[in-house]
Amino acid sequence: MKAIEVSSLTKVYARGTRAVDDITFAVDEGEIFGLLGPNGAGKTTTIKMITTLTRPTAGSVRVFGIDTLRSPQQVRQMLGFVPQAISVDGDLTGAENLLIFAKLFFVDREQRKKRIQEALEYFGLADRADDLVKHYSGGMMRRLEIAQALVNRPKLLFLDEPSIGLDPYSKMQVIKQVKELNENFGTTIVVTTHDMAEADELCHRLAIMNMGKIAVMGSPRELKKSVGGDVLTVRVSGRKPESFPEDLGSLISSEDGVAKILTEDGEKAIPRVTDYLESIGATVESVSLSRPTLDDVFMRYAKTSLQQEGTFREARSARRSIARHAR
Amino acid sequence: MNDFQRFVTSAFTIAEMEARKIRHDSTELWMRTIQPALWLLIFGEVFNSLRGLAPGGYSYIQYIAPGVLAQSVLFVAIFYGITIVWERDVGLLTKLLSTPTPRTSVVVGKALAAGVRGIFQAVMIFALALIIGVNLRLDLLDVAGVFVVVVLFAMCFASFSMTLASFLKTRDRMMGIGQAITIPLFFGSNAIYPVSLMPTWLQAVSRYNPLSYVVDAMRSMLLTGDYSGLPVDMLALLVSTVFLIACASISLKRLIE
Repeated sequence: MKAIEVSSLTKVYARGTRAVDDITFAVDEGEIFGLLGPNGAGKTTTIKMITTLTRPTAGSVRVFGIDTLRSPQQVRQMLGFVPQAISVDGDLTGAENLLIFAKLFFVDREQRKKRIQEALEYFGLADRADDLVKHYSGGMMRRLEIAQALVNRPKLLFLDEPSIGLDPYSKMQVIKQVKELNENFGTTIVVTTHDMAEADELCHRLAIMNMGKIAVMGSPRELKKSVGGDVLTVRVSGRKPESFPEDLGSLISSEDGVAKILTEDGEKAIPRVTDYLESIGATVESVSLSRPTLDDVFMRYAKTSLQQEGTFREARSARRSIARHAR
Repeated sequence: MNDFQRFVTSAFTIAEMEARKIRHDSTELWMRTIQPALWLLIFGEVFNSLRGLAPGGYSYIQYIAPGVLAQSVLFVAIFYGITIVWERDVGLLTKLLSTPTPRTSVVVGKALAAGVRGIFQAVMIFALALIIGVNLRLDLLDVAGVFVVVVLFAMCFASFSMTLASFLKTRDRMMGIGQAITIPLFFGSNAIYPVSLMPTWLQAVSRYNPLSYVVDAMRSMLLTGDYSGLPVDMLALLVSTVFLIACASISLKRLIE
């Protein structure tokens, strides 16, 4: 069974903005799925529709086979949701924040205490459990939010910009814990982010949204390949390579003692390419590897089309949505 | 757990959330007792010297004590809309609505929390009345009855305020509308003077003012012991509370769209 099945999903806001425009995709059970795209691309609206917070204008969503329009409460019972803005209550203690959410998810009394204690320990918050959350650091609040979303043992967890505003160390911690959750509990995770390095590290598969549509979807590896594979630039002296065995990669150019070779996995190819070149009598002086990043993918699929199609009105609505999120 | 149990559990959990916040920091509650105290101590004492302002041979300060209580509960409740807008702004509301909690439970829970604050106001005003020697009928059943009215009234206006918040959507607008509603309601009711002193057009308006019914109910329990008007008062209050809770539950999702 698919964790999420979205078909022909559309949301048109009252002002006529088509925030999400006829998108169809599915997320497998146990997958970490990334939803990327520029501001105002429709990521948050898509998540809001899947989490039953907003009604779609058209189309349907099924979460583990259950229709979100027909049984929203049943769907919400399976979800964990960490919104973009810090959403823990600063006027309560860490433990109380967890307690209230456990109750709101109808976790029974015996389970509750155990799960809260486990969550606090797992996220390294046990010694600060009885402090008011407003005295926590940003990273601690983020961890508490994720802990809070987990007390009901969700089958599907949504993280909207989980590492926004965190320092590199806290960010790393959050990424690590999200990965562990997925590995240890098999939780299906949907994450939105602007951080391409994070998406690359975290996601099994991702979709880049733009102007309410899905511009491209695939594994980070496939996507990077689609904008060009790894390129090895080799400086050689002595005999110059003219042809190249196909299993090592393809020779793009070879002039002035510099050979450019397109390969699939650059790092692994380096020793084999060097060996080959030495074997034909060339001397390798230096090798450098450049590989496309998700940034390149993003630029290709999101930014260019924004420039092509971005009218004044669309730019304005994108700005509005930034302002809305910043509040 | 059936639907009704879920509804009750979540409503009480949301109220518990508020109660725990008050327990951590109750400064606001204490500050909110200043205004009613001033009404009783200054306004009440000054006008106490005017004979014949209060009907039925009661002293003026006796007469306005229930009115001041009702007004202070109104002020507590009407600002619940601001709280909910604030919770939307910081992301708490989105998170709350992403739980299986029914929308109605969120509204009822918040409204109950307003009721808890209302009871605190009532206790403080009773205490003050005792200290300055205002003679009220503080027997157990009457006090319990007043608490019921206080809770219902707080729930009624907290729901009203949350309904307004769903349409106005910003804190600034809610601040403005809060003032614009509470002051006319207060002065257009029987809280600090009898309706019979009002010009006829205002008397007509006062008949549709919910605050008048609340003050009337409180006055019958705390002062006169004449319960003849009580069923009508309670019915009016109950109907409008249920109606406004329903309104707020339906409109609440507008806040996060």
